[in-house]
Amino acid sequence: MSRIFMRDLFCIFAILVCLLPRLAGAQATLLRIVISNTDTPQLWEGAIADFEKQNLGVKVIKEIAPNSSTQFHDLLTQKLKNRDTRLDVFFMDVIWPSEFASAGWTLPLDRFFSTTEQGKFLEAPIAANRYRGEIFGVPLFIDAGLLYYRKDLLEKYRMAPPRHWPELVEQAKAILATERDPHLIGYSGQFKQYEGLVCNMMEFILGNGGALWDEQRLVSAVQQERAKQAVRFVRDHIIGEISSRGVLAYEEPESVALFAQGRAIFHRNWPYAWRVANDPEQSRVVGKVGMMPLPAFPGGKGASTLGGWQIGISRFSKIPEVAWRFVAFMTSHQMQKRIAFATGRAPTRKALYDDPELLAKIPWLESLLDTFKQAVPRPTTPVYVPLSNIMQRYFSAALVLPDSKIDQRAALAARDMDRVLDLLRETAAR
Amino acid sequence: MKRSLALTLFSLAIALYCLLPFLWFVLTSLKSPAELTSIPPNLVPSLHWGFYRSALFERGLLRYIGNSLIVAGAATLISVGVGSMAAYAISRFQLPWTKFYLLALLAISMFPQIAIAGPVWSILNHLDWLNTYHGLVTAYIALALPLAIWILTTFFREVPVEIEEAALIDGCSRLQVLRKVVLPLAAPGILTAALLVFIQIWNEFFFALIILTDPDVQTLPVGIALFPGEYTMPWGEIAAASTLATLPLIFLTLFFQRGIVRGLSAGAVKG
Amino acid sequence: MKSSHRLAFLFIVPSLVFVCVFTLYPIVESFRLSFYRMILTLPWLGQKMVGGENYVDLWTDPVAWQALQTTIIFVAVTVPSELLLGLGMALVMNEAFRGRGVLRAVVLIPWAIPTVVSSQMWRFIFNDRYGLFNFVLFGGDTARYFAPLANPRWAMIAIMAAEIWKTAPFAALIILAGLQTISDEVYEAASIDGASAWQKFRHITLPLLWPALLLALLFRTIDALRVFDLVFVMTQGGPADATNVLQFYGYKKTFAEGMIGYGSTIAVTVFMISLVLALAYLRALKSERLQGAAAR
Repeated sequence: MSRIFMRDLFCIFAILVCLLPRLAGAQATLLRIVISNTDTPQLWEGAIADFEKQNLGVKVIKEIAPNSSTQFHDLLTQKLKNRDTRLDVFFMDVIWPSEFASAGWTLPLDRFFSTTEQGKFLEAPIAANRYRGEIFGVPLFIDAGLLYYRKDLLEKYRMAPPRHWPELVEQAKAILATERDPHLIGYSGQFKQYEGLVCNMMEFILGNGGALWDEQRLVSAVQQERAKQAVRFVRDHIIGEISSRGVLAYEEPESVALFAQGRAIFHRNWPYAWRVANDPEQSRVVGKVGMMPLPAFPGGKGASTLGGWQIGISRFSKIPEVAWRFVAFMTSHQMQKRIAFATGRAPTRKALYDDPELLAKIPWLESLLDTFKQAVPRPTTPVYVPLSNIMQRYFSAALVLPDSKIDQRAALAARDMDRVLDLLRETAAR
Repeated sequence: MKRSLALTLFSLAIALYCLLPFLWFVLTSLKSPAELTSIPPNLVPSLHWGFYRSALFERGLLRYIGNSLIVAGAATLISVGVGSMAAYAISRFQLPWTKFYLLALLAISMFPQIAIAGPVWSILNHLDWLNTYHGLVTAYIALALPLAIWILTTFFREVPVEIEEAALIDGCSRLQVLRKVVLPLAAPGILTAALLVFIQIWNEFFFALIILTDPDVQTLPVGIALFPGEYTMPWGEIAAASTLATLPLIFLTLFFQRGIVRGLSAGAVKG
Repeated sequence: MKSSHRLAFLFIVPSLVFVCVFTLYPIVESFRLSFYRMILTLPWLGQKMVGGENYVDLWTDPVAWQALQTTIIFVAVTVPSELLLGLGMALVMNEAFRGRGVLRAVVLIPWAIPTVVSSQMWRFIFNDRYGLFNFVLFGGDTARYFAPLANPRWAMIAIMAAEIWKTAPFAALIILAGLQTISDEVYEAASIDGASAWQKFRHITLPLLWPALLLALLFRTIDALRVFDLVFVMTQGGPADATNVLQFYGYKKTFAEGMIGYGSTIAVTVFMISLVLALAYLRALKSERLQGAAAR
């Protein structure tokens, strides 16, 4: 009798033991996020810990991707195209939302992210996150192209910061001729054959009144005269006269290092370069640097390429509501302030630009607001990457090859871009 | 006298050629941040260990190396084991389809790996093996088997059949023959195959990148790819990490170099 | 007899399973996809079976032809260079002298370093401001420093140099193995007959080494055709597409642009080229061996 009793007891006990983890586990919701490897891991650990405290029962599982935009993209694409349900939230570079939205990988966020709420963010990043009338991501931080210059050199030669690109070239030539410093160059930018090249060239082209594409008619615009003029100007005057051939292999790190070492008069880069140039450990020009919106060509308006990162939710996530709570938390007023404090990245909520505490810590933020308001996104289309590859090829060939026939190359690039854009038209016909 | 002088000179030249780029990187890892980007570059570093400290303790380099050791070690052991069995069969049983299998393996190994990365990922996803050691190891075994089987077959062919037959006549089973007779004789070849496979897997990057996103299991090549910041390139840490990453391989090659050369000379060419 | 057949099959089955599931199936899948038009970011276009259209597009794609040319130049320059360098290294390592073991280990180092590591290393060396390359060429005269990776021709030279550095040791090992199978008696007999060192090399070493050379040639050509990691880290295909090898172009199409069908087409094409070359080599190898066997 007792043996049978013991056996039953044992069975019940065994069943309980098996069920217990299931019961306990059922309470913990796992939220899986993919973020890039940041320079400030403590910030993110702290933020996640706070989120978990505020949302008991949710456990955030973090996956790290390389910072390289292309590698991050490859990784995400693998998961999303296979409808991986073990992915809930992820970062997006500013050029991905329309691509991901079109592919059906991101969840439309309109039911969580109302238009009123959207209005509290800067317009340009919000526009970059919209696709066909819906919103697919929440902007986390914003970047835009800026011109940095050596205040001390301009003052020495009694020059005011240039208003146009030709003026910049003349100033650089004059300074170089008088300084006679073999290590000094006039301009440092990012002209390697990669996405950054499109960012740099777009600023020149738009500053000349040109465009990369015609959004309404879905055709390329690089073959138009104003665009070609801008490219010719960069080849002949910027690279040809005041810069070194080396910039044709530069991404951001090399170009800012040159400027911070005091070897460039003018420098184009994202807002982060301000901190680098004023960091005593890395820079020899601390306190000698000025920052301003990018110049235009005469008759045109200065344009700045929009950059930055956003957060999106996977369409295949099983817990969209929990995922939204995380997204809302990360893009909340307090969190953006915290991120800005710790990393210097510019926030996307308009209210923060009036915040006295933040402005005390990052005084230059206020002066950037105008630039951010007018930042121009790269073509927001699902086929942006193929278009970008074509443009990178064209720009790089135009700048690198000694006697590049820009008319011919622009025409070829336009033809290739049109073929890609035709794919979009094909869908519209359906 | 002249001959040994010439030999010494040539040896030094070869050693310099092989080591110089790597030594430069090692020197870089010992420079201070300011010396790192000084123009022109200075050759003698101040012994600055900060990059090593940062790579090891802030970036978790040891974890990446550990993961790589586990993955490469397991994949090598299993590939060589499974490959040996197949190689033994191919070399001993001269059946027509075994030769075809060998050629098919060669053809398969020629296919660009990038192209098959996608489907392999989906398979692992279905099996729920992403971000696991066994998932990546399995994929790596499949990638390494053609190379392993080719090398091993060549070596097994060198082991004289007569010795085996003698053992069989003496009453040993096939398995015993394999274990006690063939394997010891083919040991140099097995060692060679193991080292070649280990190095190939240790170096593999793209598969690891898309299959491992959990920091706890990421291997070394992926780990090093995580070093660059969004707009920064920490050359010092990368150099330090690379130096530490290469040390195990250097030890392995130093340890096994004699066996490898003997192995390669015994078999590869005649095959 | 039957039992041995069964045993053979049993021994081969484990490897067969791994290979079939994880390599054969993905390869077949790639072949299949190469006949479809599939663009990830435009899912409503569906997966349309377009037959040979992708191949026709590839045939008329100027970027692909330039990529093919770049790849061929890469293979044509690196493989012979590796073999020549490897031959030189092997000849030295074949001599008996003290420290030979250490030299052999040292020689393996370039090849043992992970490609992602060595690519970063070479990128650092070729830096136009603080790189070793410029320092070696121009010393402290920094005004003359230039950026190899910004110049199409020099960028090609840079990645080829990086590749040769890494793989010459592998070729050296295979050739060394071949050298060690040549018995000393043959050389001694030739010495007695009064042959010079060069004659010995030309008439004994080279002919007997031929199979090893061809083997090294085969493996290295197949690998060179598929070069990827080096371009991915060092140049990303630039400048001006100068280092855009075929497999990198295929990667961009598949992963970056989401054009899976076309990307698979490129992969299959690279595979076909490797296959043709491999068959040619194997035939040469077989005829050499037959000749050698007949001669003996």
